[in-house]
Amino acid sequence: MLEQVPAEPESEKLTDEDLAMSSTPGPTDTQRKVVLVAGSGRSGTSLMAGILKQMGMTVPEPEVVADATNPKGFGEPRWVVDFHETLLKRTIVQTADARPSAWFDTGRAGTRELNRSELTAWLEQEFTTADSLVIKDPRISWFLGLWRVAAVRSGASTSTITMLRPPAEVVGSKNAYYGGRQGDISRLAGWVNVMLCTERATRGSSRAFVRYHDLLDDWTKTVVRVGEELDLREVADAGTGKMQEVHGFVDPQMRRVRATWDDLSVPDNLRDVAQATWDQLNLLAEPGGDTADVHAALDELRHRYGALYADAEAFANSSVTAAGPAFLRATRQARAAQAEADAAAAYEAASPMRKGYLRTRRVGGRVKRRLQNRGE
Amino acid sequence: MTDNHLLLSNLEELHDFDVSWPRDFRAQKPGVTSVLRVKNEARSLPWVLPPLFEAVQHVVVVDNQSDDGTPDVARRVAEESGAADRLTVTAYPFDVSRCGAEHLATPEASVHNLAYFYNWSFAHVDTAYSMKWDGDMVLTREGIETYADLSWQLESVEAVIAMPRHPLFVESDRVAYLDVYMINVEEYVFPMGEAYRHVKAYEWEMRMVPRQARRVRLPEGLCVELKYLDSDEFDHWVGPDAFGATPRTMRKLREWEVFHALKEGRADEIEGVVRIEAPADYDHVITYVTQSWLPRQQRPITVPVDQRPGFAEELTSVPKAADKASAAPR
Repeated sequence: MLEQVPAEPESEKLTDEDLAMSSTPGPTDTQRKVVLVAGSGRSGTSLMAGILKQMGMTVPEPEVVADATNPKGFGEPRWVVDFHETLLKRTIVQTADARPSAWFDTGRAGTRELNRSELTAWLEQEFTTADSLVIKDPRISWFLGLWRVAAVRSGASTSTITMLRPPAEVVGSKNAYYGGRQGDISRLAGWVNVMLCTERATRGSSRAFVRYHDLLDDWTKTVVRVGEELDLREVADAGTGKMQEVHGFVDPQMRRVRATWDDLSVPDNLRDVAQATWDQLNLLAEPGGDTADVHAALDELRHRYGALYADAEAFANSSVTAAGPAFLRATRQARAAQAEADAAAAYEAASPMRKGYLRTRRVGGRVKRRLQNRGE
Repeated sequence: MTDNHLLLSNLEELHDFDVSWPRDFRAQKPGVTSVLRVKNEARSLPWVLPPLFEAVQHVVVVDNQSDDGTPDVARRVAEESGAADRLTVTAYPFDVSRCGAEHLATPEASVHNLAYFYNWSFAHVDTAYSMKWDGDMVLTREGIETYADLSWQLESVEAVIAMPRHPLFVESDRVAYLDVYMINVEEYVFPMGEAYRHVKAYEWEMRMVPRQARRVRLPEGLCVELKYLDSDEFDHWVGPDAFGATPRTMRKLREWEVFHALKEGRADEIEGVVRIEAPADYDHVITYVTQSWLPRQQRPITVPVDQRPGFAEELTSVPKAADKASAAPR
């Protein structure tokens, strides 16, 4: 605000030095580097993080333990997953949320001093053991700005690698490995929203796009390109020993789900936006493909998807309105049931006699049921 | 003029300066445009504009009777930043009433009223959001990252963004002083709709904000406000008695005291002012403060009132002691 419009001041004589452009050196003063691996889940993000780890970059420990959905490991720091999950829970945003407005909610969480300070403190701690960190989590797209701020505060540079996989395969893979109530439509909408905004969030910064298929077909060519684009010393300096380790880590058979549009039941308008998004993102994975034309096309798709989502939201308004009270009622009932179960458990634990009585009753019940079954 | 715009005319019937104000921000182009109303800011613009070009989609510079070449400097800086196509420079040729009694006596629809000046300036915005900015405010590296994210995250919502700024008193290209006792929070980013016009308040203009707008307050450390100790910034003030006792003028009083103490070499007499000296590898102290010192400074940057010396004894006193110990970055 112009708090005071001053009286006409005498013109000051300006020197060339006064008018010199503020030549801005890089904001980093150390070798600290954070590589953020982003993209939709089931797109090879774990594979990329694992390769960089084999190359000598550090995935902060402890890591999330491997399981059947990701037998070679997730490459995810436990603290990061917990941090992101807490923020998503607070902002009521899902990992693959399809709402365009969800980006404002998580962005707002990223502007809170508490969250900036917490992430900066963790990052500073991790930099005491290593200078080059790899941070991967399928939730990270929602907080890329927060990570960049924490890196700036820590005097580190950031780069982002976004993994790309055809949307039909991603949805098919999620259906196969996660199951659950979510259907093809909401999973595909989530993919479109996350991918379009991950691209927007990384535009203008140090970034690379990598197709999952390329990594499986010939990881050497793809990783060298990424290393050059992001200036990753570990990749450039990798010796034969490290290359052998990566060869052992990359399994071309990892691409187990090969779904196509024919395998999904989605409306045409959503499929068209998803296909066009995939086509444009593919261009970014080509050398020299990160151009203003592609950015403009992706901007247009983001706005087209926003309009599509707004229509769908308006169409389903009755369901949304009804879901509010139903959700509150279900939450209340779940809390009451949990409280009752906790109280019963506490009572049982506090009373050995009661515990013995209940055990006897359970055994008696089992015997009774067996006898009844025999009689049938 | 389109169906999405309403016309605001002025009492002077200067139709070249009518205002065409958008009705619905959703009908505008996506993005944020920063609007700077400036008068003789040629010295600061080389620091102010480059970060803005990184943070938002477009910048509008409205020159109000500068005689130091401000418009040419703006164009040159935009050219050097590779952003010439994202800068609009225009001129508002009227005297604008001073804040306070002069403003109160000027009708809102006059071209001399601050509210009309603001509406005319912001009417150049064709994006959904506008960002009010001053010709001496410089974004830090963290500030650039924050606004660059907001510039697209705001696309799907209706929200107003507030931010604190830090006064930075520049002594030379190597030394500056940051006031860590001053906190000055204002709303800067607004949608460009009919419900968000500028109107006249008692002492100055204000922007309307409807109830449905969501609000975000950004953290500290995103922006500094430059004050050059070799300038005549406060020469038009008679003295500290002229400031009165409103919250706004109390801030001016603090600025006046700090400015004069620093200018007269009495830095050690002012509590809550941190001396910052740029290391040799930085070309200027403003670069050092915005790129490194502030982003890496321990939070909170502004010392909480209850942690200031003398808080318990006398809340209104201005303590006197040096505070150079905390000048070293973390």
